[in-house]
Amino acid sequence: MQGIIRTIRDGSGFDILLLGLALVYLVAFSAFPIIYNIIMSLQTVDMFTITSFKRPFVGLENYSTIFAQPIAATVLWNTVQFVVLSIVFQLSIGFGLALFFQQDFPGATYLRGLFLAGWIMPALVVGAIWKWLFAGDFGVINYVLTALGLTDDRIFWLSDPNVALYAVIIANIWLGIPFNMILLSVGLASIPRDVYEAAELDGAGPLERFRSITLPLMRAQLGAVISLGVIFTLQQFDLIAALTQGGPADSSNVAQYWSWQLSFQTYEISLGSAVSVLMILFVIIVAAAYVRSTRHEHSY
Amino acid sequence: MFQIEIDNLNKHYGGFHALRDVNISIKQGSFVALVGPSGCGKSTLLRTLAGLEKTSSGDVRIAGQSVIGKPPRERDVAMVFQSYALYPHMDVEHNMNYSMRLKRRPKDEIAERTRTAAETLGLSRLLDRLPKALSGGQRQRVAMGRAIVRNPKVFLFDEPLSNLDAALRVHMRSEIRKLHERLNATSVYVTHDQVEAMTMADHVVVMRAGIIEQQGSPLELYDRPANKFVAGFIGSPAMNFLPATAADNGALVLDSDSVRIGFNRDIAAGRQVWIGMRPEHLSLKPGVNDMTIGATVTGIESTGSMTFVVLAVASQPVVLAHAGRPEACKGDQVRLHIALDNLHFFDRETELAA
Repeated sequence: MQGIIRTIRDGSGFDILLLGLALVYLVAFSAFPIIYNIIMSLQTVDMFTITSFKRPFVGLENYSTIFAQPIAATVLWNTVQFVVLSIVFQLSIGFGLALFFQQDFPGATYLRGLFLAGWIMPALVVGAIWKWLFAGDFGVINYVLTALGLTDDRIFWLSDPNVALYAVIIANIWLGIPFNMILLSVGLASIPRDVYEAAELDGAGPLERFRSITLPLMRAQLGAVISLGVIFTLQQFDLIAALTQGGPADSSNVAQYWSWQLSFQTYEISLGSAVSVLMILFVIIVAAAYVRSTRHEHSY
Repeated sequence: MFQIEIDNLNKHYGGFHALRDVNISIKQGSFVALVGPSGCGKSTLLRTLAGLEKTSSGDVRIAGQSVIGKPPRERDVAMVFQSYALYPHMDVEHNMNYSMRLKRRPKDEIAERTRTAAETLGLSRLLDRLPKALSGGQRQRVAMGRAIVRNPKVFLFDEPLSNLDAALRVHMRSEIRKLHERLNATSVYVTHDQVEAMTMADHVVVMRAGIIEQQGSPLELYDRPANKFVAGFIGSPAMNFLPATAADNGALVLDSDSVRIGFNRDIAAGRQVWIGMRPEHLSLKPGVNDMTIGATVTGIESTGSMTFVVLAVASQPVVLAHAGRPEACKGDQVRLHIALDNLHFFDRETELAA
């Protein structure tokens, strides 16, 4: 006992203790759920077998069942649109704002701080507010659109199957902009001023400086923001729950919400697991790309 | 023909007056050093020439054309930054020819000029390296290469050697000077190191608090400093100053010691002055036309070829420099011989040369 206490106090025991705590945490709260989830996706799990580990093994049958579902194609296409459109607009608007606030003007720091507000709010609250904004008969968005003469009829944002997905995407873009802006602002601030000055003396105008200095030097940050954006977008659940619940008629349903519906609404738990395993695989690929992109960071 | 003319240039940052009525004329092909302590405005002046800072009033002409309000890229000046400011994502070759690629010069011209510049600076074997794979000295040369491929009207240097170690700095000093002579370009060089300014420049501009204290050739500044600041700033070790008061019979009396110094300049009796003495004009051995005062040796610093003797003259520190080995020991009471022909006098109130 004395010996153990001594190694913890002065020797390698302390290192092992710290490592061990982290390892136990990871195994208990990350590795175990993921592996358990993978196992469930290979078994038949329903309300009767959920409490027991011994369940019939069915191989990849759950996966083929999922793809055979009539809404699988819709959900897949919706998820692709949800992710791609969210990222494209979050990134371009966030980058634009980051560049804008990089200019030195009075109040720039405070205004930038204000943009964080959206990030601080819970997505469920954001969803509730956007639900009012989007409301077909009393929503502000319809009011503005008709007042400006952009539309003649009211758009039923959340109940029209043709636009419901885009309504969710618009709200998600708004929610993701602050994160993009802050991360990209930090990246922009780390580019030394004199590199721009040297480029200016070398004859580069503003556009040329953006193209040949800013973009290549921001490569690592852009890679990080895109990868994290994909991951966050695939995690986005609250907003969909608050706005459309995937409806109407699955027109705004996306993979993560479908997985939840399968597991916790229709109790087809093994199918829900299979969907989430597919998403995990995709996220791992994105995460690998993210790790690779951080290797391109420049030192000045 | 002057390549650069600066007329009554002023620069304010809010309430701070960074440059006050600066007037400098720089001949085509000359090497000008702007020197002074930190915060004296020398870098601001250089950045104003480059177009990186706006002027508040006054005029700047490059090759006869006013450049006020013109962006840096229309001024045809190249600058070597203290941090080098290399493009971290471009290799040496692309760092050097960025300006020509922007101008869409023909490919073979770009290649040819990059090759020549790289050869001049000994960078030929490093063309495909990224800046992070280069040593400090190599980065410095790339920064110079980036400037010379452009063949600009004016080269601006902002303390380009301050991040190098001492030996390399001395080496690069003469390299830059040689390069300047070969290219016959007009160069403006900012440094806080007066030795750099003295050894490299044809024309030295000494600045303090946004004002030009004096400008002229290096030896002019050394031999005839216009005021006490310039006298103390130029020369290493620095000039010694002892307070004295003029007596009525054309002599000066040291305040500390009632030693009288025979003096043949017209200074009104009772006027208080600083007597300035260069360390090399002091000696422990008697010479021709000198005067003698008592002093105590408080320290000896020997570099081998030179010896610096730190003395106390009535508690005022005075440094003496002579070639060779020490001739006294710490604690010695010595006779200090001062060569009268090389004394400087500054008014104690105005600090101007008397």
